[in-house]
Amino acid sequence: MANMKLYSRNDRIFVIVNMVLIGIFTISTLYPFIYIASLSFSSGFEARAGNVILTPIETTLEAYKYILSERMFWVSYGNTFIYTIGGTIMSLLFLIPGAYALSRPQIYGRRFWNLLVAFTMWFNAGLIPFFLNMRDLGLLDSYFGIIIGFAVNGFNLILLRNFFEGVPSSFEEAARMDGANDFQVLVKVYMPLAKPAIATVALFCIVSRWNGFFWAMVLLQDEDKIPLQVFLRHTIVTLSDDQQFTATLVNASYSVETVSAAIIVCSIVPVLIIYPFIQKYFEKGILLGGVKE
Amino acid sequence: MSGVKLESIVKAYGAVQVVHGIDLEVKEKEFVVLVGPSGCGKSTTLRMVAGLEEISDGTLTIDGKVVNRIAPKDRDVAMVFQNYALYPHLDVAENIAFGLRIRKESKENIEKAIKDVAGILGLENYLERRPADLSGGQRQRVAMGRAIVRRPKVFLFDEPLSNLDAKLRTQMRAEIKRLHQRLGVTSIYVTHDQVEAMTLADRIVVMNDGRIEQVGSPMELFLNPVNAFVAGFLGAPPMNQIQAVISGGDAAPIAEFAGQQFTLPPLPGLQNAVGRKVIVGIRPEYATPQTKAVEGSVSCTLELVETLGSEALLHTTIGGEPFVIRTETLGNMDQLNAVNGFTADPALVKVFDAETGVALSGQLRVA
Amino acid sequence: MSDAVTPKPAVTPYVNKRPVSQRIVDHLKREWQIYLMLAPTVIWLLLFLYKPMYGLQIAFKDYSIFRGVAASPWIGFEHFETLFASEQFLRALKNTIYISMMSLIIGFPVPILLALMFNEILNQTFKKTAQTIVYLPHFISSVIIAGIVITAFSPSAGIVNTILSWLDVDPIYFLTKPEWFRPIFIGTTIWQEAGFQSIVFIAAISGVSPTLYESAVVDGASRWQMMWKITVPSIMPTIIIMLIIRIGNMLEVSFEMIILLYQPATYETADVVNTFIYRQGLQSGQYDFAAAAGLFNAVIAFVLVMTANSISKRYSRTSLW
Ligand SMILES: Nc1ncnc2c1ncn2[C@@H]1O[C@H](COP(=O)(O)OP(=O)(O)OP(=O)(O)O)[C@@H](O)[C@H]1O
Ligand SMILES: [Mg+2]
Repeated sequence: MANMKLYSRNDRIFVIVNMVLIGIFTISTLYPFIYIASLSFSSGFEARAGNVILTPIETTLEAYKYILSERMFWVSYGNTFIYTIGGTIMSLLFLIPGAYALSRPQIYGRRFWNLLVAFTMWFNAGLIPFFLNMRDLGLLDSYFGIIIGFAVNGFNLILLRNFFEGVPSSFEEAARMDGANDFQVLVKVYMPLAKPAIATVALFCIVSRWNGFFWAMVLLQDEDKIPLQVFLRHTIVTLSDDQQFTATLVNASYSVETVSAAIIVCSIVPVLIIYPFIQKYFEKGILLGGVKE
Repeated sequence: MSGVKLESIVKAYGAVQVVHGIDLEVKEKEFVVLVGPSGCGKSTTLRMVAGLEEISDGTLTIDGKVVNRIAPKDRDVAMVFQNYALYPHLDVAENIAFGLRIRKESKENIEKAIKDVAGILGLENYLERRPADLSGGQRQRVAMGRAIVRRPKVFLFDEPLSNLDAKLRTQMRAEIKRLHQRLGVTSIYVTHDQVEAMTLADRIVVMNDGRIEQVGSPMELFLNPVNAFVAGFLGAPPMNQIQAVISGGDAAPIAEFAGQQFTLPPLPGLQNAVGRKVIVGIRPEYATPQTKAVEGSVSCTLELVETLGSEALLHTTIGGEPFVIRTETLGNMDQLNAVNGFTADPALVKVFDAETGVALSGQLRVA
Repeated sequence: MSDAVTPKPAVTPYVNKRPVSQRIVDHLKREWQIYLMLAPTVIWLLLFLYKPMYGLQIAFKDYSIFRGVAASPWIGFEHFETLFASEQFLRALKNTIYISMMSLIIGFPVPILLALMFNEILNQTFKKTAQTIVYLPHFISSVIIAGIVITAFSPSAGIVNTILSWLDVDPIYFLTKPEWFRPIFIGTTIWQEAGFQSIVFIAAISGVSPTLYESAVVDGASRWQMMWKITVPSIMPTIIIMLIIRIGNMLEVSFEMIILLYQPATYETADVVNTFIYRQGLQSGQYDFAAAAGLFNAVIAFVLVMTANSISKRYSRTSLW
């Protein structure tokens, strides 16, 4: 379709109008990010006065200085790394062997095991029983609770399982003939073959861990364990209503707005860094796991 | 004694039985080929020997040891797959070494084994390549390398050449034969290419519908098929089979078909057989084309001449049924189009019972 | 070849003579490693997802933290009666239905239109860049998106009010106005997800055979006509499947975003069932009552999902899972 010639004037108008509309949509997606970035580099006064529109005004790094000198910023940033890395590794430790086992035709009760997974995608006990269960398990307010409590996810499990199912069984058989046991078959043959699928799942895990805030907010009381997103919410949502905090800022060269913006920028940057990898894999992943025959 | 012995081997998937009690003894260093139509259970049988399928019933012995419940890795057998199943993420050397590494062989041993195998198979220059960067024939060689590197007691091949083009297939066929002569390892080879079967096998096993029809050396099967199925399966083009009725007496039985007569030898199976329905089997090679009626000739209608170079196939019909004659071309070219009949040496003609398909004719000696 | 081959004995069904227990032992000896791989996932599912389902019984109990789930006394449907007598819950239910319906009606066509429009872009660089940008918000956390919204709509500093001031409109404190909550929320979710949701349709479009377009060009069709006469009908099955999925998941209003954006002043239009549960259960500690609301929600969602799944199975012979 792309390299088709434009035959009529109407076609040309159509194409141009279309391009303009897409352009507007794209800019409207991009603009808020630019706006936030500009805010974060502007002075508190200009920001509060609503003068920042596109580019920073009275460019300053004060907001960043404030943020970077804030202990909670570093603590929560570090926690986010712990949750993201630990959680992703934990997820893969469950998902890879689990999905591989579910993909093996020889296991007894395969339908039953798969149903056990699928049912969790149809029916969810809900917030309260999950919370009470976490509490009963003694997993409130702990790093381990956050890391283990969200390790398995039906969608990722099925995505990986489908991939493993698609690998010709002769690879398993060849490896078995070569003397490999099931763990060796998985680690030495299937995992290298499933690299794209595993990368996709790992990226999904990383993104959801990096962004997750609700359960961290609910399950963690101890300030020193909260992730960045919870700290961010605290700053943005809570502090902007907090007259006292606002008052302390009146004379500063930063404001609630610029400080919030600066945290947002700091939190987005890692996502932007891995975004090219995400993009490379997610289209594949969506198609891999989305709708399956 | 690294022979393989199958006794009443049965395979069933649930209640559906697909292999119905196979008995077969493969002797040490023997090269046995399983042939048969698609779906007859060749792969299943081979995979039971490999340990990739559970054996539903019967006893499998490798090297004098019952292995029914022994894992593939402990059976000391190696297998070459139809699609090769080379590990795409490993280079050739690593593919070959995979089994040795799993078995925790020493580094020096592995190095040496890779080198040996690469030498035998002519892979020295490709050791660092990934399978994706190899030609079909090279991949085939790597697959074989992976099998021979462990020096197993038994080689299993499941249609290893069917993914290659015709020319490469011929070449690799010869290579497999050479390899077998050199290494002398007991081999079981599945194919449905009967030329492969004829050229490679010490003995051929013809299977049909989960059963063995006949076991024997290639020539034995070619000359003395025990039934019409085997007769029709081996040989290219296959044996012509004409439905006929016996007349004449015991001394000179005559097959009557399409209003014609063909005199058969006085075979023991044809005593008291007047009126019996039979199949007369004549190999295309054993029919001599004629351009005019002669003593004992059968007339046929020529439909098409296929010239293959040194030989030609004459496609004719007798009473509407196809009949193929294979003949030399040298010096005959101008007469081929005039063929209207053939003669056949009664001694080379096979006769089968039309109902059971069992051979009624006597044995031809392989000589 | 003759069809007269050796007649085969009638095929009798195979009966395995080994006792079942023996076969299970054989099987486990062979495959125990596979079960070992499966075990952690199954245990996790039981511990973290199925055990809470067992815990759902507190919806019918007078739950006390000290007695635990099992020992708390049964009280039947009392919580449900309270629930349906509660103004707040009914309001939340109404809001849930309203917001999800509006999100569906407004939000569903947007990704399709985006996909169709992307397909009409001839400049590949422009297309790739635009796609990269519109997919991005999906990967940004709701806290950040909420932060952006709060900042942008803030009465003093926000860009929206700045623009309004150019038009001589007095600053509006959007996030405290009930009538503005839904448009802002629905707009935000569409803004965040539409690009990403268009991927499925873009993939469907790329699967349309080029020969269809070529023959249409020969017939003199314009691009506009081709879009409506070829592309849209070709991706109709995908559109319908996605619609069914959307309806199945309708109750999954992104309540995390609502928690971030709403405030008591806007509960009237913003409070949905899940935020209601969150406040009643996790903030006020009425676990049993909130669990009853959650059970009600989950059952409806389950029925919706199962219906959607069976419809889509019938429609396309594709199951969604
Ligand atoms: N997993 C299975 N479940 C049920 N039936 C099976 C299974 N695998 C094979 N079969 C059946 O067993 C029979 C024998 O199959 P097998 O693969 O051994 O045939 P084959 O002789 O190798 O054929 P081909 O020449 O096509 O490879 C076939 O009828 C097949 O349908
Ligand atoms: Mg086969």
